[in-house]
Amino acid sequence: MGEAFEEVSNEMDELIESFFTTPIFGDKNIGFTVTMFWFLLACIIMLIVVFAYKKKTEGTLVPHGVFANGMEFIVDYVRDDVCKGALGDSWKRHFPFLATVFFVVMFGNYIGMLPTWKAGTGTTGVTGAIALMSFIYFIAMGVRKKGAFRYIKSLAPEGLPAPIAAIVWVIELFSTFLRLVTLAVRLFCNMFAGHVVMGVFAIMTTTFVAPMINHFSAAALGTGAMSILWMVLLLLIYVVELLVSFIQAYIFTLLSAVYIQLAEAEGH
Amino acid sequence: MNVIGYGMCVIGAALGIAIAAFAVANSMARQPEVQSRLFTVFILASAFIEALCLIGFVVAIM
Repeated sequence: MGEAFEEVSNEMDELIESFFTTPIFGDKNIGFTVTMFWFLLACIIMLIVVFAYKKKTEGTLVPHGVFANGMEFIVDYVRDDVCKGALGDSWKRHFPFLATVFFVVMFGNYIGMLPTWKAGTGTTGVTGAIALMSFIYFIAMGVRKKGAFRYIKSLAPEGLPAPIAAIVWVIELFSTFLRLVTLAVRLFCNMFAGHVVMGVFAIMTTTFVAPMINHFSAAALGTGAMSILWMVLLLLIYVVELLVSFIQAYIFTLLSAVYIQLAEAEGH
Repeated sequence: MNVIGYGMCVIGAALGIAIAAFAVANSMARQPEVQSRLFTVFILASAFIEALCLIGFVVAIM
């Protein structure tokens, strides 16, 4: 038993090591890394799926078949729940951007759910880039709506006495930049932690079943039976992760929509 | 040390999710017709709380 746990600990280190991105060519700063490859693959799959959907529904208003209906359900979900819910009247202008963000994040998450494939959104580099897009977008929208000077001034709510307004302005400025960090870190941590937990259960399954395969005995059968428990747990975590992948895409989009709405809001 | 820190971080997240679940169960009992909307809010709130906990997890194992 002691041996087994040492083995688990070694494999744990290996597992966590494997989730850090490694360059295929070049180095980590300038080059092409493993995560970039998976993210690129996710984007290509996303484009194929979206254009297949568009081709399928061309010239008709009624979607036919499972694929077209399923895609329409997701698009409607983003439109009604995220855009109309958070943005109100101006949803039409921001819907293309938010839908793009949603699909990029969702495919980036789901590509990691296939065995031996890695999540495209599994590193702070990729999530940071997507978060930066949405950060730039909502600031640009605020500036377009109010003008640069008025937008910067409007970070602090109107009608406050001057000294308090200055303090609130500094805090709001800080929290605006913090949004960029929290958007990126939330997505990255959810993907990373979920995959580590799944990996740990997979390692436990194989470690407990290994003695039974090597030389069969009653004791080995006992540990082998225990690996069924780990397997069930692994499947449960897998289902939860399928849910989390969708929820994270939803939250990322919803928060982007809320930030856009805050940037465009007139007065408080 | 990392593990202790992560354990303390889990206490906070557990309390947060517990309070959210408590409030949602209460509201559902009072007003069963808004069940589906409340469930969305609950999942969303849990995801926010959980994210803090997961940040702790990642920091602990790195």
